Amino acid sequence: MTELILQALYSGLLQGGSYALIALGLALVFGTMKIINLAHGELVLLAAYIAYSVESGLGLGPMFAIPIALVIVSLTSVGVYYIVSRIKKDREINSLILTYGIGVILTNFILLVWKADIRSTSSSWLQEGFEIGPFFSMRSEVIFFGVSLVLMAALWRWLATSWYGRAVRAVSSNRDAAKLMGIDPGRTEMVSFLVAGILAAFAGVALFSYGVIQPAYGGALTVKAFIITVLAGIGSIPGVLIAAVLLGVAEALTVTLASSALQELSGMVLFLLVLFIMPNGLFGAVRRRG
Amino acid sequence: MKSSSLISTIGLLLAAYVAVPLLLGSNQYVMSMVVAALIIGGVALSWALLGNLGGMVSFGHAAFFGVGAYVSALTTVKLGLPVFAAMLLGGVGATISAVIMLPVLRLRGPYFALAILAYAHIFRIVATEWSSLTGGSGGVANIPTLPTVFGVDLASKTGAYLVVLTLVVCCALAYSRIRSSHYGIALRAMHDSEDATRVVGVNSTLLKGAMLLVSAFMAGLFGAFNAHYINFLEPDYAFNSLWVTLPIVAAIFGGYRTILGPVLGAVVVYLVDQLIFKSLIPTGHQLVLGVLLVAMIVFSPNGLLPLLQKWLKKALGKEKKHA
Amino acid sequence: MKRTLTRIAMATVVASAWMSGASAEEFLVGAEIPLTGNLARVGAGMQEGIMVAAEVFNKTNGKHTVKIITVDDESAPAKAIAAVEKLASQGVVAITGGYGSNNISPASDTANKLGLVYITSGGVDDSLVSSGRKNFFRINNTAGYEKAMLGMLADVGAKSVSIVYSTKDATTGLAKDVEKALLAKGVKVTSHSFDPAITDFKPIINKIKLQDKSEVVAMVGYENDYVGIIRAARVLKPKIKAMVGVWSLATPKMAADFPDLMPNVFGTALLAYPTEFKTADGKAFSDAYKQLYKKEPDYLGQFGYVQSMLLFEAIARAADKGTVKKGGVAEEMRKTDRETLIGRVQFAANGDNQNFVHRMAQHQDKKVVIVWPKENATGKLVYPALPW
Repeated sequence: MTELILQALYSGLLQGGSYALIALGLALVFGTMKIINLAHGELVLLAAYIAYSVESGLGLGPMFAIPIALVIVSLTSVGVYYIVSRIKKDREINSLILTYGIGVILTNFILLVWKADIRSTSSSWLQEGFEIGPFFSMRSEVIFFGVSLVLMAALWRWLATSWYGRAVRAVSSNRDAAKLMGIDPGRTEMVSFLVAGILAAFAGVALFSYGVIQPAYGGALTVKAFIITVLAGIGSIPGVLIAAVLLGVAEALTVTLASSALQELSGMVLFLLVLFIMPNGLFGAVRRRG
Repeated sequence: MKSSSLISTIGLLLAAYVAVPLLLGSNQYVMSMVVAALIIGGVALSWALLGNLGGMVSFGHAAFFGVGAYVSALTTVKLGLPVFAAMLLGGVGATISAVIMLPVLRLRGPYFALAILAYAHIFRIVATEWSSLTGGSGGVANIPTLPTVFGVDLASKTGAYLVVLTLVVCCALAYSRIRSSHYGIALRAMHDSEDATRVVGVNSTLLKGAMLLVSAFMAGLFGAFNAHYINFLEPDYAFNSLWVTLPIVAAIFGGYRTILGPVLGAVVVYLVDQLIFKSLIPTGHQLVLGVLLVAMIVFSPNGLLPLLQKWLKKALGKEKKHA
Repeated sequence: MKRTLTRIAMATVVASAWMSGASAEEFLVGAEIPLTGNLARVGAGMQEGIMVAAEVFNKTNGKHTVKIITVDDESAPAKAIAAVEKLASQGVVAITGGYGSNNISPASDTANKLGLVYITSGGVDDSLVSSGRKNFFRINNTAGYEKAMLGMLADVGAKSVSIVYSTKDATTGLAKDVEKALLAKGVKVTSHSFDPAITDFKPIINKIKLQDKSEVVAMVGYENDYVGIIRAARVLKPKIKAMVGVWSLATPKMAADFPDLMPNVFGTALLAYPTEFKTADGKAFSDAYKQLYKKEPDYLGQFGYVQSMLLFEAIARAADKGTVKKGGVAEEMRKTDRETLIGRVQFAANGDNQNFVHRMAQHQDKKVVIVWPKENATGKLVYPALPW
C-alpha cells in the first residue's frame, strides 16, 4: 500500500507540474485583465499540433517544435489580445463570449487542418520509463516537469524584476493607479497575453509529449486551467503551481485509494471544499475596489 | 406595458403560435431546428435571469438541465407518471439541487461561476456511478414522448414546438413579472451596489437565493422537456457542456439584459448556423459561427436585440422608450 | 440480306440496352455521420467506408446506382434527428451511418417515423435492438466483441484478468459482460473503471501490478485510452503475460503511429495488415479504398463498407421488384444472408446481426496478424508476449 501511495504522490506531483504550465497563461491574463481567455486551451492545443506536424513532417522530436510553436502561438495570443481590446464596455462578460468565439474558430481550424485523429509523440526516447527509487514515470513527464519549474521560476523573476513584469503586477492590482504612474495599461495587457502565449506554447509541446491530443480537447484544457487559477486565488502565480500539484495529487490519490472513475470527482470536490473554507482561493488577496 | 410594446408582443405571439406552424409545419427539418433552438433559448433565459436579477454568472446550468431531465425521465419510466407532471417534477428536482448550491452564494464572480460548474461535473459522475437509480452510463432509454392532448399529438414536431414555445412564454412572463415587482427592483439595485441595498434593509442573500432557485427550476423544465423530446438520456448528454456554452452565447448574442434577447439570440444563432452556414460550408460552419460571435461582441456588445431595436427605431423614425 | 439481319440484330441490342437502361435508377442514400464534435474521428472513418461501398456498388451492379448525401450530425442527438429529417426531405430511400447509442437512438426513431431503413455499425448497445424498432439494422454488437475476447482468453488459458474500462456506455457494457462470463468460467477477475478524461493510467496499472497481480490486462476503451494504458504499463512493467484490447487497437494506424507501444498487443480486427484479401469482394474493397483515400482501410471503413453494401444490395433487389417506396427495402434487408468481410450476415427480427463474432488480432513486427478464431488466423498467436 505504501508503494501505491508513494507512486500516486509522485504521479500527482508530475501531473500537477504539467497542469500548472497549462494554467499559468490563463492565470496571468486573468490576474492582469480580469479576463477569462476561453480560447487558452485552444492555444495550448495549437502548440501541441504544431509539435505533431514537426515530428511527423520533419521527423524531429517535439523539443525542436518549441521555437516554431513559440512564434505561432504567441502571435495568435497577441491577435486575441487585439480583438479583446476592441471591447468597449462590460469587458468582463463580453470577453467571455468573445474568447469563446475565438476558441470555436481555433478548434475548427485545428479540425480542418489536422483532422480528428488522436495524436501523440511516437518518440521512443520520450516514452521510455524513468525510475528513481520506487518512483516510475515516463521520461517526457519528468523532463517537462523540469521545464515547468524552470518556466515558473523565470516567470516569477520576470514579474519581480523586469520593467514589464512589474508593470503587469501594477496593472493587476490597481489599473488606474498604474496609469497615473505612467504605465500604459494597453501595452502591458498585450505583454501579458504575449507571455501567456509563450507559456501556452511550452504547455502544448509538453502535452503532445506525454499525453494524447484531439481537436475537441481545447475546451477541457481551458476548464482545467480555469479551475486551477481560481483554486490558486486570483493574482497569485506561485499559488498556481501549488494548486495544480494539489489537484494532481488529489486525483492520483483518489484513483489509488478509491476508484479511477471518481478521479474527476475528486478535483471538483476539492475545488468546492477549498472555496467553502477560503472563498478567495488558496492564496488570493481580497480584491480592493478600483 | 406601453401600448406599442403590447401590440408588438401580441404580434410576436401570434406569429409564433400561428404563423410558424402554418408556414413551416410541414418542413420537419426546420421545425426540428426551431424546437432545439427554443430549448436552448429557454435555458438561456434562465441563465440571463440569474445574471440580471441575481447578479451571478453561472457556468454550470447544465447541472439544472441534467437534473430536470433525469428526474422527469426516471419518474415516467420507473413510476409511470404522466409526462407533464413529470416535467414539473423535473423542475422541482432542479430546484432542490439548487438548494444544495446555496452555500456557494457567498462566493463572488468567477468563483461562483466555477463552483456551479463543479456541481455539474459532480452530478454527471453521480449519474454515471449510481447505476441502480439512473441506469449508469447506459442511461435511460425509451423515455415516453409527449402525450396526445385534445386530439393534438404533441409528440409530433409541431406539437413539440407548441409545448416548448408555451414553456418559453411562461418563463418569459414569470421573468418579466419578477423584474417589475419590488423584489425585482431590489435585485437590480443590488446588482449596482450591494452595500447600499443592504443598508436600506434588503435581504440580499435571501433574494439571490430565490433567484437561483427560480433559474434552476426553469432550466430543469427545459431539461425535462428535452428528455421527452429526444426519448433517450445519458449522463454525458444530460450534463454536457453544450447546455452551458450555447445558452450563454445565445443570451449574450441576443442581448442578455433584455428578456427576449436570450431567446432571440438562441433562435438566430442556432438557425443561422444550421440552416445557412451548414449548407454553405458543411464541415467548417462552426468556424463561421465563431467569427459571427466575435463580430457581434466587437461591433454591438449589447447584443442583437438592442441592435435590431436601434435599426427599427431608425427605420420607423419613431421614438421608443427603453425598458 | 446479311446487312439487314445485322442491322436488325444491332437494333435489337441497342433497344434492349436502352430498355434495361430505362429501368436502372439512381437512388439517393443518406449518410448521417458525426464529422465534427467528439465522434469526428470515428465518423470520418465510417464515411470513408460508405463512399467506397458506393463506388464499388456503382461499378459492379451494372444496373442501379446510388448517390450518397452526407449530413454531419455533429455528435449531437438533436442534430442527428435533424440530419435524418433533412436527408428525408432530400428524397433518400434509406439511411446508413450513425455512431453512439445516444445519437443512433433518436435518429433511428426519426428514420422509423419517416419510413426509412436505418443501418449502422456504430451502436453496440443492447437497448437499440430491444426497443421494438422496425426499420433498424446493425451489423455488429457487444456480444460479438465479447465472444472474440473470451475465445482468445480461453485459448491461452488465462487464469486471472484485470479489466480496465472507460465509464462510457459501450465500454462499460462490454466490460461487465466479459467480467460475468469470465467469473462463470472460474477465472479470477478484478475490474477498474476509469473516467474518460483520465490521461495518467499509472495509478491504475500500479494497483494491478501490486495488488491484483493478474496474468492479463484487458483494456476496454478508445485509442487515447490504449495509448495511455500501454505507456503506463511499459513504465511500471507489471508481471503480466499479455495486454488485450478491443476496437481501435489492432489497426495499421496504431502500428504506424505508435510503433513502440504496439508489439504483441492484442485487439479485435476483421482483417490482417498488410491486407491479403482472398475474396473478390475483399479485393474490390481494398482497391477502391486505396484509390479513393490513398491509405490502408481501417476497421471503421470496413464496417461502413459492409453495412452500406448490404443496404445498396437490398435497395437494388427492392428496385427490381418495384417495392422501394412501399417498405421493400426493409423487407429485402431482412432477407439478407451473405458472406461479407465480417463473416456471414443475417438480420434477426429485431435488426441485430446475431452471427457477428469478431476476430482477435495481434501486432507482430509492425504487422497486424489475425490470431483467433483459428479458421481465420493468418498467423500464430504469441503468448506470453508484451510490448516491452
